[in-house]
Amino acid sequence: MERNSDRKIRIIMAKVGVDIHERGALTLMQVFKDEGMEVIYTGRYATPEQVAKATVEEGADLVALSDSTGSMLIIAKQVIEALKKYDMDHIPIVAGGLIPKESLAELEALGVTGNFGPGTPFDTIVDHVRSVVSK
Amino acid sequence: MSKESADKKVGLDRSFGGLVRTDLQSGIPVETFYSPRDVAHLEYEQDSGDPGEYPYTRGIYPRMYRDRLWIKSFIVSYATAEETNQAFKDNIASGQTGLRCLADLPTQSGIDPDHPSAWNAMMCGGVSTYALSVYERMLEGLPLEDVDYELAHSSISSALMFYGMFPALMENQGLDIARLRGANINDPFRARLVYNTPEWPNEINRRICLDLVEFSARHTPKWKAIAPNGVDPQQTGANVIEELAGCLGVATAVYGELIEKRGVSLDDIGATVFSLDAESDFFETIAKFRAARRMWARIAKEKLGARTPRAMSLRIGIRTSGMSLTTQKPLNNAARVTLQILSCVLGGVNSLDASSIDEAIGLPSLEARTFNLDAQHIVTHEANVPMVADPLGGSYYLEWLTDHIEKGVNDYLAEIEAHGGMWNCLESGWLRKNIEASRMKAQLEKRDRKRIIVGVNAFEGEGGLINNAISDTAYKVPTEEDRRRNVCALQELKQRREPRKVKDTLTELFRAVKEGRNVVRPTIEAVKAYATIGEVVGVVRLGYGLNYDPFDAVDRPAFLDELR
Repeated sequence: MERNSDRKIRIIMAKVGVDIHERGALTLMQVFKDEGMEVIYTGRYATPEQVAKATVEEGADLVALSDSTGSMLIIAKQVIEALKKYDMDHIPIVAGGLIPKESLAELEALGVTGNFGPGTPFDTIVDHVRSVVSK
Repeated sequence: MSKESADKKVGLDRSFGGLVRTDLQSGIPVETFYSPRDVAHLEYEQDSGDPGEYPYTRGIYPRMYRDRLWIKSFIVSYATAEETNQAFKDNIASGQTGLRCLADLPTQSGIDPDHPSAWNAMMCGGVSTYALSVYERMLEGLPLEDVDYELAHSSISSALMFYGMFPALMENQGLDIARLRGANINDPFRARLVYNTPEWPNEINRRICLDLVEFSARHTPKWKAIAPNGVDPQQTGANVIEELAGCLGVATAVYGELIEKRGVSLDDIGATVFSLDAESDFFETIAKFRAARRMWARIAKEKLGARTPRAMSLRIGIRTSGMSLTTQKPLNNAARVTLQILSCVLGGVNSLDASSIDEAIGLPSLEARTFNLDAQHIVTHEANVPMVADPLGGSYYLEWLTDHIEKGVNDYLAEIEAHGGMWNCLESGWLRKNIEASRMKAQLEKRDRKRIIVGVNAFEGEGGLINNAISDTAYKVPTEEDRRRNVCALQELKQRREPRKVKDTLTELFRAVKEGRNVVRPTIEAVKAYATIGEVVGVVRLGYGLNYDPFDAVDRPAFLDELR
């Protein structure tokens, strides 16, 4: 999809299910805002449907999933399913948190990129977001 | 020399790896050295006292670790009750002396495994302890009387439900619940500030927290039914001042209300327990423990009317910092945890949950657990650290730092008062805003390499075989098949239990909630009838006129239709 280069990048930051670990998501939201992006946070306890709906309603360019339970693969599959219902499964998804090594290949195969662990430099994440959105 | 080999020449910089800051982790600036001038205003009898003497700066027992070593206690909570039971037994054989229980994240949020929001975190971070049947399997063959249990759950609903498991198990086996020992966190501030689980609003948390403390004081006097928690606020971003002020503020608010409204005195309660964090900053952590004991003794005596020495003494339970541990080169975590253990022992703590070297990657493997028990055995038996109480007492630096932290905490407590007190500061978001500012400050320091984390923002290098092995052997999350089996087990339990008993006990719980009676005994009876966490949480909500389901995604079960 063509993007107007003047428009700010709009990100849906999502935590799906009952993961309570929020520090990473909150920190990155601030980082994205400082980089001139717009971030809409679903808050914790979102359902995949709520994420998909927010993505459509907010005209988001990208969905950022955060999870520290080790279940990112399950969450990503659920969110992709929900996005399909809105014909929005072309939207880029990036992920971060505690992602098991064993899940990485399958996540990439599903088109979920980044898959950043703790301690990743902010610049790496911001550059990745910009490059994924501009594709 | 060829040009090629000149390019490969190694440069050597004498200043490489030098200090990058002159303040401690919480931003306390420090001088290059300290002398008697810096502590001239402190009086030994008034500000320190011998170990076992008011204000307990140097420890709460006269002989400290010679009579009782700290309890080696850590959370054991894997995906299934059976694995957890086996791990408890294996760890006890390696020297674990206190048993900490936890639950998976759906349970701590007050929902059952068959709830639509439960699936992706089910059995992650702990056992799915939805009902007494799981506790029966999890604690099978383990003693219930006269051993220390600690419940680390995030929410007040979990504090109620899982405290309730113990009287239920004990009474079912004909044991004496007065011989239940241990503590649960049951901190309504941490529950909102850190976890913000949706199942109960502050109004309910505040009441149930008191119900639990009151019931326990009357029936299980060796159980500490509240342990104000600084660990998780600090892991969320709070600095050491905010952490300690928070715990003191919580204890003052909750005990103040208990004394005023429930007629239970601090002398009835006995010692207070705080659950504090052990961070990587070594001296700051030690000073914090000393300041905590001194400040609590003063508050208990001067503000809360404590008269007995026990009621002025603070027992410190520790969880070492999980936030300090890294997935990068996890072998380094062994050094971090060992230093944190040492700061705890030098600081005179009473119970210690040392994190494992693989905890940044997953739940701890048994071998990693054995390592951190062995590290504590080495500190004890090879390094001979615990032989003398408060061995750093009298150090100009440490005494200055203890005093400095006390002053900072007192200033912060005065600010909390100026903003309307603890409950107002929680509800207005003031506490949260401050913690977030501290978190962001720490993150930016890391980005700017003013807070060096070895292997992450400096000294990165590559890990090798040993580091990879640590990552590979960390505990893995349960498969979807495991989760399906867990949901089936819940459904089977619902078929097996006596519907009449479930309904009657939950009805009585509902009435107690509505009529303002203490809910703990009705909860214990509901637990005995195999009511689930989702049902107990939902019935309490109904008693307050809320929807049954905190997520508003499922209807109340038909058998609870009459509860109006």
